[in-house]
Amino acid sequence: MRRPAAEADLLVHTTHFCRFLREHGLLATPGDTVDAARVLSLVDITDRADFQAALRSVLVHRLEDMGPFEECFEAFWGAAQKAPAAWLRRNSPPVPKKEQAPLSLDHWAQGQDEGEEREEAMLPAPSQLESLRRQDFGSFHDEALREVTRVARHIARRLAMRRSRRWEPARDGARPHLRRTLRLSVKTGGELSELAFRQRKVRRTKLVVLADVSGSMELYARLFLQFLFALQHSFARVETFVFSTQLSRITEQLKSRAYAEALAELSLEVRDWNGGTRIGESLRAFVQGWPRLLDRHTVVIVLSDGWETGDPQLLGEALAAIHRRAARLVWLNPLLGSPDYQPLTQGMVAALPHLDVFAPAHDLASLAQLARHLAL
Amino acid sequence: MREDIRRIQELMEREGYVTDRAVATSVYLATTLGKPLLVEGHPGVGKTDIAKVLARVLDGDLIRLQCYEGLDANTALYEWNYPKQLLHIKLDERSERPVGQREADIFSEAFLLKRPLLQAITHQGRAPVLLIDEVDRADEEFEAFLLEVLSDFQVSIPEVGTVRAKTRPAVVLTSNRSRDLSDALRRRCLYLWIDYPSLEKELRIVRSRVPGISEKLALQLTTFMQSMRRLKLAKTPGVAESLDWAAALVALHASELDPSLVQETLGCFLKDEADLRALSSRLAEGELAALCSPLG
Repeated sequence: MRRPAAEADLLVHTTHFCRFLREHGLLATPGDTVDAARVLSLVDITDRADFQAALRSVLVHRLEDMGPFEECFEAFWGAAQKAPAAWLRRNSPPVPKKEQAPLSLDHWAQGQDEGEEREEAMLPAPSQLESLRRQDFGSFHDEALREVTRVARHIARRLAMRRSRRWEPARDGARPHLRRTLRLSVKTGGELSELAFRQRKVRRTKLVVLADVSGSMELYARLFLQFLFALQHSFARVETFVFSTQLSRITEQLKSRAYAEALAELSLEVRDWNGGTRIGESLRAFVQGWPRLLDRHTVVIVLSDGWETGDPQLLGEALAAIHRRAARLVWLNPLLGSPDYQPLTQGMVAALPHLDVFAPAHDLASLAQLARHLAL
Repeated sequence: MREDIRRIQELMEREGYVTDRAVATSVYLATTLGKPLLVEGHPGVGKTDIAKVLARVLDGDLIRLQCYEGLDANTALYEWNYPKQLLHIKLDERSERPVGQREADIFSEAFLLKRPLLQAITHQGRAPVLLIDEVDRADEEFEAFLLEVLSDFQVSIPEVGTVRAKTRPAVVLTSNRSRDLSDALRRRCLYLWIDYPSLEKELRIVRSRVPGISEKLALQLTTFMQSMRRLKLAKTPGVAESLDWAAALVALHASELDPSLVQETLGCFLKDEADLRALSSRLAEGELAALCSPLG
């Protein structure tokens, strides 16, 4: 028989273990802690494999957490087995890292200098990049703008017309709504004099666009902005953000009636056009600042060349968070239009595992293809 | 206490489900804690079988809800029996009773078609096992609805009132991970990941499920299947495919694998045209021996 004291110790350690898991990014809710405490009395805790299997089944909720759980278990109980108390003292929860403060303006200026140096080292040779740009679009005039608008309308129409497989009552429609019809027929003694109808619900797909407007994207950003402007005007459920080192929401500005007007407002309010690129930080700012924009009816589009001057790991984490909560995550990379391009930059490598769609966006044809990826 | 887990494992093995401690522990804890068990794994590793075996072990009925895109509350929970309602209204035509009363009649339990979830809730006698199969194929709206049902096993039917389960069913959900499930649903469940079995475990499964198989063939076949899973195939074969193939080979009275036999029966475990072509050419180059050796 176990001594009650030992059991109480174990309970305390299990609670600590749950906290340890949370600190290492696993999802262990207070409810899970309660379950973990309950299973202690259900399995043979002197059998390490049993104990581990039991904790695993209540504390792990997804395959991706399996590896981290095993590591945490090893780190926590592996040492705890020998000297739990000493181990716990040594490994008391670290003071949570201070949330990184948003970059202030002068800080940003400094940061940008550093960023640009690094960025330069990563960019392809200037001549190569120059030819790439020329090949895609030399100049953009009214004709092209009309074309962009047409593409945006086409996409908006596709999105607005999508029918779900669920039904809703309708004033008139192709299919009868039996339940309602029956209810109506009670009045007339079962005579089906009035028919009720039902129709397919319209899927309410929403779009969130996060566009990179940093230096390396300068030429593409012009095309994208015109496209986003047109999209905002033909589709109601789109939220637009731009980022280079910071994230700015530009949905309202894009709603201005004329493109020139929208541009003027944007240049006033978005400060860091053509700055360095901190994709990870910007995306994290989006995840934290606008959590309600992400749901299962939302398609998130990131427009960027993936030249990350910040921490690629941060980028991976932010994308994983978006991917988990959105219906689809699409990354459009203008460089992908070039036949020699390989997505090997640190940023792109960190991003790829989390994307549903990775597609080119260097000309109008590729933008027109976008409609295929947006229909849920 | 470990006796209980060992007993569950024994019972499952007796029912023909070859398993291990980790699986038995999860099944035991799920039934003891009264929580749904979410089973994820590659296709064909025996996720659905867990529920079937559990029903036999617990000696309860198995109620199965197969999920698909567009599945909604009507198909999962209940639907009114319209033809019967119509007939009743007709028969009742001359009645002097007030309309409200007559409406109440046709929206009573006798006119209710119970779909799997309601069946599980209103089940009489021993607690049934409710299998919610391939929950990842239903959409998020349905997932949210499911969450509601699973949290307190009661549903309200506007015309009838609230129906509450007398005995809580044991719930098993399976998912092929075609889409990520919500954290809310995951948190409500105990989680079990079933990987492809080890050579030793797969050998036990083949022996127990295909009794007529020769020892040599069983070993060759499982080693071969294990190498299949190391290849980069479009559709990696699971244990279900191993069993299909084993049964086919036994029906052909084979006692060992040879290249032409494998060629002829490839379709039992490869379900993708490109995979078939790739493997055919490997076999033509005389790679069977390599694929049948443990390190492939």
